[in-house]
Amino acid sequence: MKNFPFGNAALAILVMALLSGSWLAAHPAGGHRTTLTLWVFAKEHNENYHNILPTFLAKHPGVSVDIQLVANNTLAARLQSAMVADVDVPDMCEIEITQAGTFFRGPLDDVGFLDLTDRIHRTGLWDQLVRARFAPYTKKGRIFGLPHDVHPVALAYNRVAFEELGIDPNKIETWDDFIAVGHRITKTTGANPRYLIELSDSARDQLEPLLFQRGGGFFDKDGNCIIDNDIAVKTMAWYVPLVAGPHKIGNNLGGGQVLTQAVESEYLLSLIAPDWRTRGFENDMAHMSGKMAIMPLPAVTKGGPRTSTWGGTMMGITKRCAHPELAWELAMQLYYSREKLADRYLKSNILPPKRDLWNDPAIQAPKAFWSGQRLGKIYSELAPEVPPQYASPFLELAKNKLSEAVVSCVQQYQASGDAGFEDFCRRRLKQSADEVRRQMARNPY
Amino acid sequence: MTSASLQQEEKAVVRTAERTGPGGGMFRFQQRFAPYLFVSPFLIVFAIFGLYPIVKSMALSLYATNGPKDHVFVGLSNYRFLFTDPDFGVAVRNTAVYTFWTVFLQLPLALGLAILLSQKWIRGRDWFRLAFFSPQLVGQVFVGVLFMVLYVPQYGLVNRGIHAALVSFPLDTKWLGDARMVMPALVLASLWMYVGFNMIYFLAALQAVDRELYEAAMVDGANGWQQFLAVTIPGIKPVAVYVLVMATIGSLQLFELPYTMLQQSSGPDKSGLTIVMYLFQNGFVSGDLGYASAVGWTLALGILTISLIQMRVTGAWKGVKE
Repeated sequence: MKNFPFGNAALAILVMALLSGSWLAAHPAGGHRTTLTLWVFAKEHNENYHNILPTFLAKHPGVSVDIQLVANNTLAARLQSAMVADVDVPDMCEIEITQAGTFFRGPLDDVGFLDLTDRIHRTGLWDQLVRARFAPYTKKGRIFGLPHDVHPVALAYNRVAFEELGIDPNKIETWDDFIAVGHRITKTTGANPRYLIELSDSARDQLEPLLFQRGGGFFDKDGNCIIDNDIAVKTMAWYVPLVAGPHKIGNNLGGGQVLTQAVESEYLLSLIAPDWRTRGFENDMAHMSGKMAIMPLPAVTKGGPRTSTWGGTMMGITKRCAHPELAWELAMQLYYSREKLADRYLKSNILPPKRDLWNDPAIQAPKAFWSGQRLGKIYSELAPEVPPQYASPFLELAKNKLSEAVVSCVQQYQASGDAGFEDFCRRRLKQSADEVRRQMARNPY
Repeated sequence: MTSASLQQEEKAVVRTAERTGPGGGMFRFQQRFAPYLFVSPFLIVFAIFGLYPIVKSMALSLYATNGPKDHVFVGLSNYRFLFTDPDFGVAVRNTAVYTFWTVFLQLPLALGLAILLSQKWIRGRDWFRLAFFSPQLVGQVFVGVLFMVLYVPQYGLVNRGIHAALVSFPLDTKWLGDARMVMPALVLASLWMYVGFNMIYFLAALQAVDRELYEAAMVDGANGWQQFLAVTIPGIKPVAVYVLVMATIGSLQLFELPYTMLQQSSGPDKSGLTIVMYLFQNGFVSGDLGYASAVGWTLALGILTISLIQMRVTGAWKGVKE
């Protein structure tokens, strides 16, 4: 000891480092014994899956499942990094629809998820699920994700305020009917302004489902950017006067508590509501219980589709998964089984994409918050008409570009009104689409 | 201690010296390798977590990356694309505007506050110093969330306050939803956070200025403003240059504040898009790590150039060379 050349302090540090290193080597972390790791980003999903898990684990003694809740904003970044470094990649992962395409960059063989196409056909899921919901998770005909939802879109409205204002939702069949009502009851000035509907003048949030309702979208099934096609131009030219200019009927103030206050104070009378959003309303707007109701979206033309789609989630099994059969079985249990279905539905109001589950009594039951309406029944009737969305690694970019176009078009409309407005929309959308195409041109796949 | 034990001790020292002394092998070993051993922990950590990522990102910036595995060498093509990319242009412009306003508002305000709070006649000045510094303790994310709530249209405190004082100010003004308002909103939030922080630097610098210089200036008939220009400013110059350079670098690296306040978006019409946000979006949202690396290296070179210019212009470079 005395002869250690660098002194006792250095010797002590060295001994401690060796001892602690040996201890760590002899006691590997518990997580290494986990059979399956699943990342989810939604709190409700996390709770639901933990409820279902005991049944799965009882069927598979010795198996353990580690479900980790990761914030949606960081999940994609973490998964990207994990896949690049090939370290700490989960066995299974849920991904939000906008980000899903990012993971399909590069050649098919390099996609970090297992190709589930053959399994989906072999097990009959292809025929049992709403087929349009496979589209966002498909690349070149190969399916890499299982759809968690359908997300049909309806219109949530303040029933009491509608009645007081003499608005009969049954008489609103088309957007023209709806806009006429909006012109009658919207007040943009005064101490208590009031707007018929929540619509954004600075982002594409509500424009997106309206674009899908008209048969438009961001990409076609071959991956071409279509945000400047004729449908998009017409939709933009129709949408902007609803949020800008003298005849606007829509506005938005933000989400969360602000939205709650806006609805409770009757600043906003209706909201575009995919099924997932209704549960948020129930949680955040408790004072509105029994005063809200749901109606199908107004159609573009009489007899046209009364719904659209907004949002989505997939579950993928990563190529790093050592037990793909087990992971598949777990995914089936979590997504498409009747196990705790009532519990799952009541916690999220999300309609599963498997059609034979829609007749479940919990889904068909009336809901007090929605004035006793059978929420699940309404959404399940709309679900078959949900339009497809197509995947692209550039989906996020295209959505951002559409948002920028909304801002430009709103500014143009405020400055110049209707004169030449459709042409302006066409030019502006083409500019946005060209910027997307320019980025796409750098990706040979 | 007895003389016998002293003799024994002496002999032991001599034996050790023979073994490890200037002629001994152990001494030579220590002389030669001890410094390397002592710096090796830093060097190892730096090499793994600093040098390797730097070299790797530089190499990555020369590749087109498609997905986690597919890398194709493209030379300087990422850089060429970058300089014609309109989104990058917007990010540079936004970052420059933010940097200009924050630096040129922040530093005078911080200096003014420091001068004010160094006056002995101010009651409770320690409390005020703490109060002005405290926003720095909570971090940008907290400040972002706080200001997001303050800026809420129709119901937010900022709009309500301005409307109460100025009735014509619309209550539904969208600070974060209107492209023209986003930058002022960001600058205001950043001032609230950083003015107090930089005030502390200036307070320390002010206390270090020699009081005799003020007395000499007063004897020469200098008024308060002349004392400020002739004594205070030269006295605090090294600290002022440091604050200027650091504030500029921090502003050019802006990320958390807009990312939080604009809820992970670039804001309406990209009005809140900064260079680092653009880097993040490309690298971790779009998965194009090669392009993101090119953005990162361009930013690093930009920061280096601007910092060198600042040091040159302020005369700090001369001090470094001396």
